Amino acid sequence: MREWFSKTDPTVKKETLYIASVTGILSLLLQAGFLVSMHWNYTVLLGNLLGAVTAVGNFFLMGLTVQNAVEREKKPAADLMKFSQNMRLLMQLVVAVLGFALPCFNGYAVIIPLFFPRIAVTVRPFLKKNGE
Amino acid sequence: MLELAIGIILGCCALGAGAAMIAGIGPGIGEGNAVAAACEAIGRQPESKGSVTSTMLMGCAVAETTGLYALVIAILLIFVAPRMLVNILMEAVGK
Repeated sequence: MREWFSKTDPTVKKETLYIASVTGILSLLLQAGFLVSMHWNYTVLLGNLLGAVTAVGNFFLMGLTVQNAVEREKKPAADLMKFSQNMRLLMQLVVAVLGFALPCFNGYAVIIPLFFPRIAVTVRPFLKKNGE
Repeated sequence: MLELAIGIILGCCALGAGAAMIAGIGPGIGEGNAVAAACEAIGRQPESKGSVTSTMLMGCAVAETTGLYALVIAILLIFVAPRMLVNILMEAVGK
């Protein structure tokens, strides 16, 4: 496991860590939003956990695919990326269906965190500008 | 007659969810093209691998959101819309 993790590109680790941090912060805000609107219960927490883990895992898997793809030729790289994207979309579909079908998860709390990586990418230039 | 109307509502929701998931194909093709271009760029300038990979990751995350929008629409059409539409129908017929 440790050997496998050490083979992971440092760029992938760094970006995944950034996405995970922003997802964590936004998850806290989501919990606060549910609390303020008086809709909070344990299903919101479980749903948020499931959604956030899926979002970060999806980004990490995408990073691993990019890491492998850039070492290949053009055509196999494009095919690998297409296959990976389809599989990851399927994974997210299964998670979203579980979120809505199982009573222990709040469906909306599962789906909303899936968009957190997109928000993290949007705010990145501003954070980078302040960090420099 | 009411059963037929409910059947049509459920059928249309399922068809809509299926049609929405067609949008899931686009990001895969786009990401494939982006990675192919990145391979070419790294082949030309191997020293830029880190920055190309970083930019690629961010670009792919943005591209994937389109597929996610489609996914959310499909999920809502399967799990939320049928119940809502059937309730509206029931209220309209007074049951």
